[in-house]
Amino acid sequence: MSGESIKFQNISLVYGSDTNTTEVLKGIDFSINENEIVSVVGPSGSGKTSIIMLAAGLEKSTSGSIFIHNQDITGLTESELSLIRRRHIGIVFQSFYLIPNLTAKENVMLSLEANKKYNMDDEAESLLENFGLGHRLDHLPSELSGGEQQRVAIARSLINKPTIILADEPTGNLDEENSQHMIDLLFNYTRGNKTSLVLVTHDGDIAKQCDRIIEIRDGKIA
Amino acid sequence: MRRSYKKLWVITTTLFISLLLLSLTFAIKQSMVDEISANSKELLGGDILIDSGVSPLDEVVIDKLSSLGTVSSTVNFFTMLSGQPGSSVFVDMRAADSQYPLYGELKTVPPSAIDSVLNRSDNPGILINENIKSQLSLQVGQEVTVMNTKFIVAGVISSVPDLARSAVFGEFAIISKKEFDGFDLRSENSFLHHEYRLKISKEQFEQKNQEAISMFTDDDKVRVKLPKDSTESLRRIIDNFSNFLNLVSVSAMIIAGIGISNTMLSFINQRSVSVAIKKSLGFSSRVIKFIYFYEILLILFVTSVLAYCIGVMSPLIANFMIPEMLGITLQPSFSLINYLNIAFIGLLIVLIFSIPSLYSINSIRAMSLFRNTFLPVNLHFSTRNIVYLVLLTAILVAYFVFQTRHQTITLSYFLAFFASLVIFYLVASALIATLKRFKGFNSNSYKIAYRNIVSKKSLAPIITISLGVGLTLLLTLSLVANNLKREIAENIPAKAPDLFFVSINKEEKGDLEEFIRGIDSEAILDFNPMISASFVALNSVPIESLVSEGNPSRWAIRGDRRISWLKQPKDNSPMVEGDWWESGDTDNLHISFDSSVASDIGIRIGDKVTLNILGREVEGTVRNFRKVEYRSLGTNFAIIINDAYASKLPYEYIGTLKSSLDTNKIQSQIINKFPNVSAIKIDRIISKVSEIINKIFFAVSAISAVVIVIGLIVVVSAILVQANLRKYNNLIYKILGVGFATIVKAMTIEFMLIYLSLIAFSISVAAIASHYVVENIFQFDWVFDINLSLMVVASTGIVTFLLILFANKNMFSPAVYPLIRNE
Repeated sequence: MSGESIKFQNISLVYGSDTNTTEVLKGIDFSINENEIVSVVGPSGSGKTSIIMLAAGLEKSTSGSIFIHNQDITGLTESELSLIRRRHIGIVFQSFYLIPNLTAKENVMLSLEANKKYNMDDEAESLLENFGLGHRLDHLPSELSGGEQQRVAIARSLINKPTIILADEPTGNLDEENSQHMIDLLFNYTRGNKTSLVLVTHDGDIAKQCDRIIEIRDGKIA
Repeated sequence: MRRSYKKLWVITTTLFISLLLLSLTFAIKQSMVDEISANSKELLGGDILIDSGVSPLDEVVIDKLSSLGTVSSTVNFFTMLSGQPGSSVFVDMRAADSQYPLYGELKTVPPSAIDSVLNRSDNPGILINENIKSQLSLQVGQEVTVMNTKFIVAGVISSVPDLARSAVFGEFAIISKKEFDGFDLRSENSFLHHEYRLKISKEQFEQKNQEAISMFTDDDKVRVKLPKDSTESLRRIIDNFSNFLNLVSVSAMIIAGIGISNTMLSFINQRSVSVAIKKSLGFSSRVIKFIYFYEILLILFVTSVLAYCIGVMSPLIANFMIPEMLGITLQPSFSLINYLNIAFIGLLIVLIFSIPSLYSINSIRAMSLFRNTFLPVNLHFSTRNIVYLVLLTAILVAYFVFQTRHQTITLSYFLAFFASLVIFYLVASALIATLKRFKGFNSNSYKIAYRNIVSKKSLAPIITISLGVGLTLLLTLSLVANNLKREIAENIPAKAPDLFFVSINKEEKGDLEEFIRGIDSEAILDFNPMISASFVALNSVPIESLVSEGNPSRWAIRGDRRISWLKQPKDNSPMVEGDWWESGDTDNLHISFDSSVASDIGIRIGDKVTLNILGREVEGTVRNFRKVEYRSLGTNFAIIINDAYASKLPYEYIGTLKSSLDTNKIQSQIINKFPNVSAIKIDRIISKVSEIINKIFFAVSAISAVVIVIGLIVVVSAILVQANLRKYNNLIYKILGVGFATIVKAMTIEFMLIYLSLIAFSISVAAIASHYVVENIFQFDWVFDINLSLMVVASTGIVTFLLILFANKNMFSPAVYPLIRNE
């Protein structure tokens, strides 16, 4: 059995001021193992995306501890969290979030450069070709279809060979055919590289393809 | 609509500031013109002023004048005034009769002092201004000496009605005409100036006025001035300064225009969906453009009205800055014409800079709604637009050029300004092209900076243009000011003599020379004979009709000038054209001119020139031209005549002294021994000129800084209109693991790259412009001061960078949650 990639220990997340607070997560505990593909499901507003943000170190929990490869990240500084993200984590969003004035290849290379890997055009081109985007390398996001943009976004999150992939409804803006294609790309990579994948989704069929399903309701694991 | 205006704050702010500057210029100019027009009789001192120069009018003429109204006679002259032993100053003295002043009020402390000086016959009294009082540490009641005569200080002058410039900036004193008559100065004293003012009663005013004027119509020795003439030089100064302010204002408005264009484009891009929906509902592009244009027009209307209202009230504040001695009180003055002028200039700027942005609406298509694919639109430059822009710009330039008497300078300024805009745009383009070729360093910060600069929405062009022009203007002014200060503080004192002597009788000259040799045998002395003369005609054509107001050598024909004579040309004014006269020709007048004066006026060798020498008109022949070096402050003359002809004229001497000994001691010994000789220390004059130049350049630089302020607002607004894009990009960087420090470093590198490319050209353009001004207009040697340039560049850079940091403060580490939630 492999070790734990992610571990949430009694995590609570509260937004708002003293008088008007929203308790998003209410003391949840779970862990995700290396090589494991886990889907997080639940109704809107249940706290699924918050779990992704906490795991990525983009949000600070109100209480509890989060471990990434056994390192407690809850007390880390902004720059230490940046380092964790660069080394271990790849993130895929529902709305792609590509930089509009960079080409497909430049968007992918951006991730390499963040990790201080410069002039690795070949690697970015090769990955995009694998994703069927060899003919779109120099196209701007506005010149790509939704499916193509999402493939660029996934390539960007995988180019650094992360050990954890956090995907927030990556198929939410895609049709059925493109959705399955994206899932295949993510699953193949995860399986082939002994990576963990946390997949937030509303799609029951996709959730069923994962190793495990974590269901969140009212900020708690159901 | 309200939301639109919040987004359009930069248009509102920059338009308002630049319109305010223009309004202040118009309003203060209007108030000053109104004030001097309303007080033109006070400024002249009478209904008519008769200037008879070095000679007084005949008693018969004065009697005839007296029959037409009240006559007041004054004599102005320069002389030494001594206080305690060893302390003396060179003063502009006015000897006035008991009728003075005919108009306005001479204010003194105590108020009764004027009466005790001009009307009483007991102890001779003198009125001094504040400068004399402080320099000689004098008090009312103390004794001073003028021309060997003792005077009691009766009071201190607070203000004079007829704007004697020395009263405000120099040393000025008033004694009674009776005391002056006691000095028994001879009419050949070139520094005497007789003036007669006439106040005519209201009855038969026009008739008596005409009669008085006609008395002197055929008399070339006398100049008649009317109230409208008294304000001519003041109007010229006001015109020149307001022209400068107008040019600064319009420069600020053009920079503001860049902000308007950028903001409008961003505004339209943010509303591309709304525009597409309107088009899908059947609105034409033309109608939509007008909707946005009306919004801008409304902003222009509100800002121009507000700016003009503040401008109209500004004379009340300006009154606090006007020296009391001038006796001027400005009144707010509303003028619809002035407001329309300001609004018209604002409209031209708004049209020029909003047309390319508004026409981008043509590129937004309703069909984009179906695919939700909105690409950002760019400035639209069709052939028709370019024609509009050229036409509107030509109208703007013509408006300013045709309103000034310095048309060439104004046109050159605009050409230089537009050339600078193009140069800085090319600088930004060159930077982008260079960076694209050299992708450079393996550093995250550099890569981010590089991408920001080379991207389509790069801030490089807007920062380079708006900051570059302002910085260049400030650098140019600083370099010009520095060169002038250096010339006045270092170069001139090094070459100039230490003392000037004026009013030296020819009988006294030998004794004075011997006396000075006794003090310092090594002293360099230069004495030149001198008489007063005026330029009447060139080849029998009245000279006034040949030389325009704007002619750079007009000074040489204005009023009485001092002329001298020589046997041979001097080393410091060598002959450059023509031949020298033969010695001994006492019957014919031969004339030598300063070559630059001759060139400006159009005098050629062999021309016949009529001079009025001591009241007699004499025609002479132009024999040669000399290159005259005035910068040394030695004794030099624009007009020199042949010594043989001059030998029969009464004259006096002017002289200079350069000595290695203590000048104060020499001056005080000379004044004690020769009380009628005026000995003026040059360092006092230089420090006074230096002080005035410092004040002028401080004011000019402060006003010009408005261009930089507008530039900074435009830069900050350009950053803010890109706030969403920058925030979005920084968020992606953050998600990819790029830290806060890297993003700040990237922004620093981005600014440094843009600013470094900009300053090289700013310094170059400023160096060329200041070189032109210093060498050609001031005719001094130009020296480039690298330390000053770097100081101006560094301080502007630091302020700009801090502002950029401040404008970006919310974009460095944006919250992830709103983005992921699509908020």
